[in-house]
Amino acid sequence: MTTPAATVDLAPLAPTAPAEHLFRRIVSRPDGLFGLVILAVFTVLAAVPDLLVGPLQTAVTATGGRLQPPSLAYPLGTDEIGRDLLNLTIHGTRISMVIGFLATAITIFIGGVIGIVGGFAGGRIDAVLMRITDFFLVLPTFVLALILAPIISDVIGTGSTMLGIRTTLIVIVIVVGITSWASCARLLRAQTLSLKERPFVDRARVIGAGRTHIVVRHILPNVVNLLVANAVLTFAGAVLTETTLSFVGLGDPFQPSWGQLLNAAEEVGAPNLGAWWYFVPPGAGIVLVVFAFTLLGTALDDLLNPRRRTRR
Amino acid sequence: MSLPIPPSARDGITPPDVEPDELAPTPETELAVEEVAPAAGITTAAMRRQRPLPKLADPAAPLLVVDDLRTHFRVSSGTVRAVDGVSFRLDHGEALGIAGESGCGKTTTALSLVRILPANARIVSGSISLMGIDLVPKTETALRRYRWREISIVFQGAMNALNPVRRIRDQIAEPIEERLGESPKVARKRAGDLLELVGIPRKRGDAYPHQLSGGMRQRAMIAMALACDPAIVIGDEPTTALDVMVQAQILELLEELRRKLGLSLILITHDLSVIAETCDRVMVMYAGRVAEEGPVDEVFRRPRHPYTQKLMAAFPNIHADRRTLDVIPGSPPDLRDPPPGCRFAPRCPFVMAVCREVVPPETTFSGVRVACHLYPAGSDGVPVTVPPPPAIDEAPVAATG
Amino acid sequence: MATRFILRRLGQAAVTILLIVIVNFLLFRAMPGSPDRILARNPYVSPQAIQQTRERWGIDRPLIPDQLVRYVGATLQGDLGFSFAQRGRPVTDVIASRLGPTLLLFGLGELLAIWIGLALGAYAGWRRGGPIDLIGNGISLILYSMPYFLLGMILLLIFASTLHWFPTFGMTTIGARFDSPVAYVADLLPHLTLPVATVALGLIGQYSILMRSSIIETLSDEYITTARAKGITEDRILRAHALPNALLPTVSLIAINLGYVVAGAITVEVVFNWPGLGTLTVEALSARDYPVLQGVFLVLSISVVLANLVADMIYGRLDPRVRS
Repeated sequence: MTTPAATVDLAPLAPTAPAEHLFRRIVSRPDGLFGLVILAVFTVLAAVPDLLVGPLQTAVTATGGRLQPPSLAYPLGTDEIGRDLLNLTIHGTRISMVIGFLATAITIFIGGVIGIVGGFAGGRIDAVLMRITDFFLVLPTFVLALILAPIISDVIGTGSTMLGIRTTLIVIVIVVGITSWASCARLLRAQTLSLKERPFVDRARVIGAGRTHIVVRHILPNVVNLLVANAVLTFAGAVLTETTLSFVGLGDPFQPSWGQLLNAAEEVGAPNLGAWWYFVPPGAGIVLVVFAFTLLGTALDDLLNPRRRTRR
Repeated sequence: MSLPIPPSARDGITPPDVEPDELAPTPETELAVEEVAPAAGITTAAMRRQRPLPKLADPAAPLLVVDDLRTHFRVSSGTVRAVDGVSFRLDHGEALGIAGESGCGKTTTALSLVRILPANARIVSGSISLMGIDLVPKTETALRRYRWREISIVFQGAMNALNPVRRIRDQIAEPIEERLGESPKVARKRAGDLLELVGIPRKRGDAYPHQLSGGMRQRAMIAMALACDPAIVIGDEPTTALDVMVQAQILELLEELRRKLGLSLILITHDLSVIAETCDRVMVMYAGRVAEEGPVDEVFRRPRHPYTQKLMAAFPNIHADRRTLDVIPGSPPDLRDPPPGCRFAPRCPFVMAVCREVVPPETTFSGVRVACHLYPAGSDGVPVTVPPPPAIDEAPVAATG
Repeated sequence: MATRFILRRLGQAAVTILLIVIVNFLLFRAMPGSPDRILARNPYVSPQAIQQTRERWGIDRPLIPDQLVRYVGATLQGDLGFSFAQRGRPVTDVIASRLGPTLLLFGLGELLAIWIGLALGAYAGWRRGGPIDLIGNGISLILYSMPYFLLGMILLLIFASTLHWFPTFGMTTIGARFDSPVAYVADLLPHLTLPVATVALGLIGQYSILMRSSIIETLSDEYITTARAKGITEDRILRAHALPNALLPTVSLIAINLGYVVAGAITVEVVFNWPGLGTLTVEALSARDYPVLQGVFLVLSISVVLANLVADMIYGRLDPRVRS
């Protein structure tokens, strides 16, 4: 039990995780490796869907029969207007991933600012920020998202595209972003607090290091680590949320994400009709991405979370 | 639906605010507890061991004989040889102190006795004979018989060593119920008796660990250790987390219990003064091996092993003149790759060539056992003289004009 | 348990609910179209009702504080407005009629999940690294990564459409007549099975991961070592020492996650056409029936707040350090 001399953790954490070293450590773990591979595969699919299956099929360009099971010509079958499911699923990758990415950016930004500022400032500012965060945690954010969507739609306007994504989907991005930040904020605050308490901060102060110096040299690098781990996990969550929102009808049939495809499948009654090829491929995509990113995120958290490391 | 679960189950969770307990005793009440008289009817005789010896025990054998014990830890970077050839003996009614700095293997040795080791640790060789019964080859199930009923442990820092959500009395009663098969009612009553024996009012048994002060928790742990009337009680740094006043009380309590109950004690600590006060014999460990062992008086007055000498010297003497603190330069060796020969050699002021190559054998004289080349086999206690540095034969290189 | 503790938590819950009502108020005002026009646009509400409501909501008065106070007052009296899609029916009526099925579905699912999920997680965490743990953990993670409705669609496909073991939608067979409660229950159960199984499986995935993680953290606590040194059996250590401590953070986390579970339950109802609040929400969404949407939001929010309160009480019972 008493492994050789446990002493107070003296070393600052930041210099131990340069990117390349970290990369190697992630790949050496099975969960990290799996996560990275899946991430790579889906990033490729999302980046160049046209190269792989041609442009997104529409009602006009659909060539197949209706709701046909998989065949040689259509490996994943067709939907109710004859579009090739393989085509739709692969294009859906881009939509789902981009929405997830953008929503994560917003979530991490809001959650990060609130959590880290609260954790650092302490006192009344922290108390107020935490009240707000706890309030959001209690809310059924899903229903809130449903209510917010038309409001934001109004503000942004519909029908046009922004960043290559139709505005209906931008609405989803914003809505997911502003409703999901709470658990992120809480996590980051907890981790910031434990960072603040680490002995090296006190030691730096004792030898006269100024506040900015402490923040820049010691705290920020570790915070970046925390954000990365949280971002990966948040991404998984954002994909799930977007999927659910699209499923209940907020998606865009002209730029179908996986969630939108599932919505379409449900409306057509695919499960009742036994048309498994309609919802299993997009479903598999969702599960794979969320699963892989959860694994990767947990691996990163294991490696980077200061509280975890002291326990090892 | 976003992923809500934080990676660690405890990250970011603050439980509802903890209110401080108004009933936690102040230092004054802590001292007052000593004056509570033990319940009438508990006599020394009644507390003497009444249960029969284990079936396989040999009544003529010494209480505990540990022979060449080796416990190693498997870690990713190799094998840590935490205990590497430790032998000692404990007789009935004796108090043995095991001293040494952090990481020398004293706690691992104690935990090896009852095999409470982490998953990556293994006793690779040696024997542990409790009343003639070798515990090492026993299976986990067979070994359980001896845990707590023959050998129990008082851990350090009893705040974490006690279950925070169960009452003190229940935790003391637990082994009485589970291991001795008594009914809950009898177990609770005996738990109350034990609490009074260690100076805690019976009513306080209803409390939870966080409601007791540090000293009272340690007493409760001692009461718990006595629950099954064991032959040996191991104290793993039992007073380290306490302030000096309370420390003195606990030591006094241990001494009193030893007398009353005829306990045998193994006291593990880095604090030599504790050993000086409480123990009959002391064993000094360094880097997984025994450096010196013998009666406390002898070892403390005339330390033989250079490490023991340094330990004694490092202890400031309040009566002596002021001087600079005498520290031992360097640090203990990495036990994944310990030096061949004597492990203290890199830091020893009397190191000789042989020390770096040959493991020093143990010699015994005047009741003291030492493992040092200054006292080779057959020594009578006089250290071998360190050979003088070789004479300088060559003339220094002179600048020729 | 200290009354001070209970009172404080009740007070906090009340404040939260008040805040939610205020948020609802702001949302209502931010809806496309002012409340007055929404009211007037609803052809099914009588002019008298419109006038009464206008007065009650003080629409011609300044926004804050007058309208706010009146809105809060009206809400507390149970006036949540009128539904568009349902011909001016009061929102409270609409919600009340759909509350039962959701409670049934969700309640059963939660009960099952807490029971099974926590037990599975505890055993998996205790025997960490064993084959049961790895497989169990893997399955849990996959379940956790799957949106509830996807799981529902798959179960529906396999067990209802293909195997025909269960009906494919609804709560009871349409148009059926029941002579006795027993007959009703007999028809209800097959319809109930798949939806409950879906909700339960999704939650089990979540809870078992939580519990497993919690147990693993308790494994390194020192009182576990003490218990082992006492020679207590592994089984008893798990049950009497590790579990009570591991439950603490788990209870907190379950409570926090309730808000997210709501989303899942809603979509499951859609898949199985279960006549509860979930399908109500989706119908209201496509019909742009804002009053109903906001009513549902309010009801769900309050439920989550109350559930959190209950969880805090349970936590207080479990952890003596909080009680004092």
